[in-house]
Amino acid sequence: MKPFIFIIIMTTVISGTIIVMTTSHWLMVWVGFEMNLLAIIPILMKKYNPRAMEAATKYFLTQATASMILMMGIIINLLHSGQWTVSKDLNPMASIMMTTALAMKLGLAPFHFWVPEVTQGISMSSGLILLTWQKIAPLSILYQISSTINPSLLLTMSIMSVMIGGWGGLNQTQLRKIMAYSSIAHMGWMTAIMMYNPTMMILNLTIYIIMTLTTFMLFMYNSTTTTLSLSQTWNKTPLITSLILVLMMSLGGLPPLSGFTPKWMIIQELTKNEMIMMPTLLAMTALLNLYFYMRLTYSTALTMFPSNNSMKMKWRFECTKKMTFLPPLIVMSTMMLPLTPMLSILD
Amino acid sequence: MMTYIVFILSTIFVVSFVSFSSKPSPIYGGFGLIVAGGIGCGIVLNFGGSFLGLMVFLIYLGGMLVVFGYTTAMATEPYPEAWTSNKAVLGMFITGVLAELLTACYILKEEEVEVVFKFNGAGDWVIYDTGDSGFFSEEAMGIAALYSYGTWLVVVTGWSLLIGVLVIMEVTRGN
Repeated sequence: MKPFIFIIIMTTVISGTIIVMTTSHWLMVWVGFEMNLLAIIPILMKKYNPRAMEAATKYFLTQATASMILMMGIIINLLHSGQWTVSKDLNPMASIMMTTALAMKLGLAPFHFWVPEVTQGISMSSGLILLTWQKIAPLSILYQISSTINPSLLLTMSIMSVMIGGWGGLNQTQLRKIMAYSSIAHMGWMTAIMMYNPTMMILNLTIYIIMTLTTFMLFMYNSTTTTLSLSQTWNKTPLITSLILVLMMSLGGLPPLSGFTPKWMIIQELTKNEMIMMPTLLAMTALLNLYFYMRLTYSTALTMFPSNNSMKMKWRFECTKKMTFLPPLIVMSTMMLPLTPMLSILD
Repeated sequence: MMTYIVFILSTIFVVSFVSFSSKPSPIYGGFGLIVAGGIGCGIVLNFGGSFLGLMVFLIYLGGMLVVFGYTTAMATEPYPEAWTSNKAVLGMFITGVLAELLTACYILKEEEVEVVFKFNGAGDWVIYDTGDSGFFSEEAMGIAALYSYGTWLVVVTGWSLLIGVLVIMEVTRGN
């Protein structure tokens, strides 16, 4: 894609999300979502193979349907309240429709089927944008309507998402599908805490974006898309093997890494609201996530897979991929747990 | 009949939507869109929006649908599917029309109808009087407001249209 067009299209993707986040009129929310969707289609189709086109088509169809349901919710809210302001409380029927539409946009269960297929069909960098930037806009709208969301609906969807994200990722060897199921599970955690303390959702989103950004960048640096090629990392750049080890543990939510902070805070907030079974269920099904991260770690860092002699020479060649900002991201996604007491500024 | 004109037009509107939703070949779907556009113009006219109704004809039908018709004519197949040539399409069309007719009769008979939300019979579709809109037409004031208070909206919609063109070019480039 020519650089000029790429800049214009990325500007539109970014401004679509910013319009959704900062507007006070429901119609502009819908306009922002549609701008974002339209402009990201060529990004998804960077490579012109049928797989990428199929992925872009699937993404377009599901997101357009979700935008239509969102529009229906907006109109029903207009019918009952007579005004378009985002910050006012929603009519219950409109709230249910909007929650469903935003769940479709995020890839929460039972609307999660498009996430692995779309993520697998596109290139690594497009998958990175899909799983990190595209989550910001729907979560910001859920944040703004969080006081009027129907709890049973959202909590059902979030528990199902964590379970499906865990069990679905178990049988995968393709790294993009693994990250897609990881995204589904993390969205489940984020929406679980949405009604009780939306600030923890923002904390989880921030740390999730940092960790996912780092993971994708490490995979892109290695040019790997499968677990098998990841297992040859010890030949190519041995430093990355230890980085992937620490990063996968952080993604799985193990202390003393920073991936533990959001899970800890979420379980704390849920138990403050006297919910016992749900954080137990969430924590137990998050172990499934940890299992497939462990499997990646096992094949990458803990074992040295056999390779032929020419492969063993690969470390002599320097990788020319420019990964800006990767070292600070690695530090941020693994060592930020001691900063957790800073959350006390929220009180 | 003039009091019920919006209701009648809305029913025919839905039937024309059904006609292209039952998935005939695009050229016949385009015909359904033309009918839908004309009926939509009629509905807008009945609420006093004469300028916007004629804009529908001019821009939507005369601009966008003409381009759609030309591109469909370029990509047409030797035996296009009409509504009567294929049992599946005919079945979907009849199902849609039946559902619409049943809904319309239900609305006309009952006083209060609740499908997704409540509405009072045919009350919302009937125009009893022209209403008191003062000296200026509301629709003209709305269009004026778009270009004065709504500058940001014009910027966003203009940018989205430009991006629409650029995205279509980028997607169909093919190499």
